[in-house]
Amino acid sequence: MLYRMKRGRNRWLLICTAPALVFFLSIKLIPSIMGLWYSLTNWNGINPSKRFIGFENFREIFTSDAYFWDSMGFTLKYVIWIVIAMNLAALFLAVAIESLGRGKGVFRTLFYLPNMISMIIGGFMWNFIFTKVLYHFSDNWGWMFFDKSWIGNPQYSFYAIIVVALWGGTGYLMVIYIAAIQGVPKMLHEAAVVDGAGKIRRFFVITLPMIRQAFTICLFISLNNAFQVFDVVYALTGGGPGRSTQVVALNIYQEAFGRSNRFGYATAKSTILFAVILLITLIQLRVMKRKEQEL
Amino acid sequence: MRVLRFRSNRLLVIMVLVFFGFICIFPLGMAFINSFKTKAQMFTNILALPTTWNLDNYARSFSKMHYFRSFINTVVITAVGITGIVSFGSLAGWALSRIKTRLSGLIFALFVFSMLIPFSAIMIPIYRVAQVLHISNSLLGMGVIYTGLGVGMAIFMYHGFVKSIPFDLEDAAYIDGCGVFGTFRFVVFPLLMPITVTICIMNILWMWNDFLLPLIMLQSSKNYTLLLSTNMLFGQYSSDWPAILSALILTVVPVIVLYSLLQKNILSGIVEGALKG
Repeated sequence: MLYRMKRGRNRWLLICTAPALVFFLSIKLIPSIMGLWYSLTNWNGINPSKRFIGFENFREIFTSDAYFWDSMGFTLKYVIWIVIAMNLAALFLAVAIESLGRGKGVFRTLFYLPNMISMIIGGFMWNFIFTKVLYHFSDNWGWMFFDKSWIGNPQYSFYAIIVVALWGGTGYLMVIYIAAIQGVPKMLHEAAVVDGAGKIRRFFVITLPMIRQAFTICLFISLNNAFQVFDVVYALTGGGPGRSTQVVALNIYQEAFGRSNRFGYATAKSTILFAVILLITLIQLRVMKRKEQEL
Repeated sequence: MRVLRFRSNRLLVIMVLVFFGFICIFPLGMAFINSFKTKAQMFTNILALPTTWNLDNYARSFSKMHYFRSFINTVVITAVGITGIVSFGSLAGWALSRIKTRLSGLIFALFVFSMLIPFSAIMIPIYRVAQVLHISNSLLGMGVIYTGLGVGMAIFMYHGFVKSIPFDLEDAAYIDGCGVFGTFRFVVFPLLMPITVTICIMNILWMWNDFLLPLIMLQSSKNYTLLLSTNMLFGQYSSDWPAILSALILTVVPVIVLYSLLQKNILSGIVEGALKG
């Protein structure tokens, strides 16, 4: 039918894609282009008139916006920590769970549970843990390690954020790794056992190369999510104390919807964030592709 | 000897997993038991089970956060969004997969490439578009925006899935006098059910737990979603933790119920979505 038509195929194509295209164009594509335009204006949300000011916003960001670059630095640090720690943790849990005979399902269900919960809710719950419950351990049990200002001291609040982010996100990567490990043919392991390879050797020589694709996906997901992190920080520290834990998304949000309402300026910032994410994604896809070809 | 070592290894693995599992549910558990206490009871022993299962906190936060209204609001937004994503996404994905012309390649590439655009890069322009279209601060408008944001991914997944369906059924339906839409509605769409389930799970979880978009779009509290109401309550109660915790538990309950009912589908849907996306 559709594919056999001699004439009118493009007409049917347009009819069928029109509803999706309308929504997609007005909500995603046009805003992307508008964003580029806004970043070159002094639009401030209150005053309806927008004036073209060229690269003035970008000049200001690059020369005199220390808070933005602090938030960018903080986000980068967060991204590096999360991408490494979350993938290691997820891989470890996946391998550990898959090595069990019975009880696999229970643990898988359990570790995925935090992922179902919004990080706003999770963040508030952990806020309670960090500001109330942990002091119980230090005051009554003498576990002095916990006697720290986890939310109030910027030195520790970074780790608090990492802990909560790992709590909320590891389960997702873990189920992907589990699915990949289950897809490794048993034959390969059996052959290796015959050849005298131990468990650890088999993990590095068989399992790890065979789940390469899952590894690419998980890296991609964790990298992209980490760069746009908002909820955890919002609920746990609100970017504070001061601006010490402010991430880029929060910086942009506050610039636009906080006190100053400088929409044009905030859009310029989000354009920079977009460029950074795009660049890293492209590099990553490139590197991963080359790696896969080599193997 | 060998058997013994094997056993102890496994025991170690189980112990480590139990430890991490405990950390997983620790915040939930603490929130749960302290949500039944008064502030004074909480400070005497934060780890203890409540002496009486007092529902006062729940009664207070339930009315203060307009729980029922917030719940319905969230349901409406999610329902509108998922209807748009699935119906428009499946139709477009099918057509793009079946019709091979230069135009279809172009449209498909447009959808796929735009999947790389991060939300935070376009949230301010979206806010502007919503104002111009008069869909900001409205539940229906939120559904519309979610449709626009989510339909690209859905098209990509439907497009891939349609390739695995044989042409014959569509031909037969056409010969029997079904039009294009009839064929799609009665023959193709039912066959797409497996991928539809996956797409529904992914998108419903995303919309239900999304915070930033409603935060910038919904100004009046009568339109608040569950997360926005909880956020508001968190600000108002400041140090009244038992009341806040009861609100958190109330907000988590629908998700936990859903998870315990559809656990298998959710886990497999998530994996499938990640691998295809």
